[in-house]
Amino acid sequence: MSTTSQKHRDFVGEPMGDKPVTALSGIGEVLGNKLEEQGFDRAFVVLGQYLLLRKDGELFTEWLKDTSGANTRNATSCSQCLREWCDSFL
Amino acid sequence: MAALSNKSDQEIKDLLDEYGIKHGPVVDTTRPLYEKKLKEAMAKAKVTVTKPSPDRTFYREDQEEVTYVTCQTPVRSEGPSGDGKPYMRSRPEYSERDRVDDKPYSRPEYSERNRVDDKPYSRPEYSEIDRVDDKPYSRPEYSEIDRVDDKPYSRSKLEYRERDRVDDKPYSRSKPEYRERDRVDDKLYSRSRPEYSSGRQYIDEPHVYNTPSSSSSYSKPTPVMKSGGVVKKENTTSSGRLIPLWIQFLVFLIVAGFLYFIFTNMESAESSPFNKIQ
Repeated sequence: MSTTSQKHRDFVGEPMGDKPVTALSGIGEVLGNKLEEQGFDRAFVVLGQYLLLRKDGELFTEWLKDTSGANTRNATSCSQCLREWCDSFL
Repeated sequence: MAALSNKSDQEIKDLLDEYGIKHGPVVDTTRPLYEKKLKEAMAKAKVTVTKPSPDRTFYREDQEEVTYVTCQTPVRSEGPSGDGKPYMRSRPEYSERDRVDDKPYSRPEYSERNRVDDKPYSRPEYSEIDRVDDKPYSRPEYSEIDRVDDKPYSRSKLEYRERDRVDDKPYSRSKPEYRERDRVDDKLYSRSRPEYSSGRQYIDEPHVYNTPSSSSSYSKPTPVMKSGGVVKKENTTSSGRLIPLWIQFLVFLIVAGFLYFIFTNMESAESSPFNKIQ
């Protein structure tokens, strides 16, 4: 818990609803724009992709890096954020 | 390999399963990722097909390494087209070529080792993984002895150097050697090693000094050179032995004298039954 950011805790603490992608931990403005260009304009779409990859953190991280050019740290953070959200709400 | 992008989703899925890649459904958004993973897996499979040869050289001489490389390419050009089992193809070539190339040395030991080599995936997997990770052969850990283990010639050489100063006791000496080495590397080779060390003591004596210097070029040069250098020293100057030569002769004479004494006593014992008790 101490290693997670506030953003992470905010996202994981409640259903995501229609939150934008930038609400995801590790996804800032730049990465958010890149994802929106690809069609991932909402957090739940990214969640969909995460679920399509069978909730595999490694696969998802790799996908995120390829799609948005994220670095390992951000991609891992986003993956972790989604995993914890799924643990609570899925 | 045909262009991955031309394959259908189902074919991509089948390929992923073949390479053992965990995956979800192949969809528009996931397909590029899976294609990339397949490409990596194929490239890695091709690399591992060739990689075993340098690993092989620890057991073989130069000749074999060269022949491996040249023969591997036609195999690869056929391409693991759709079959992720490059190992299967390469292995028969190993065994065949081993039998051919190992002729200059003791043949029976080699054929046994070939059988050992044919133990499937472990060796090539070792080769690609070992270099990176923990080297199950644990070559660096063993320093002297392990270096010796990987090269049968250098191993028998080491036996010579450290223990086989007295040439008339090869078997007794070789046994403790491979016993402890069996404990040390409890792998495929342990079984075949006894044959190596015992059989090779005499046969490979001249070769032992030659091969390590030649194999040193690609394998670990320093230790091999060291052992080669020590052996050469032993070859040239007998003063480098642990047990001086005169002691060995003395022991030999004592043992011979003892046996003769026993023999003569036996003779006299035989003659006694002929004396009738009067």
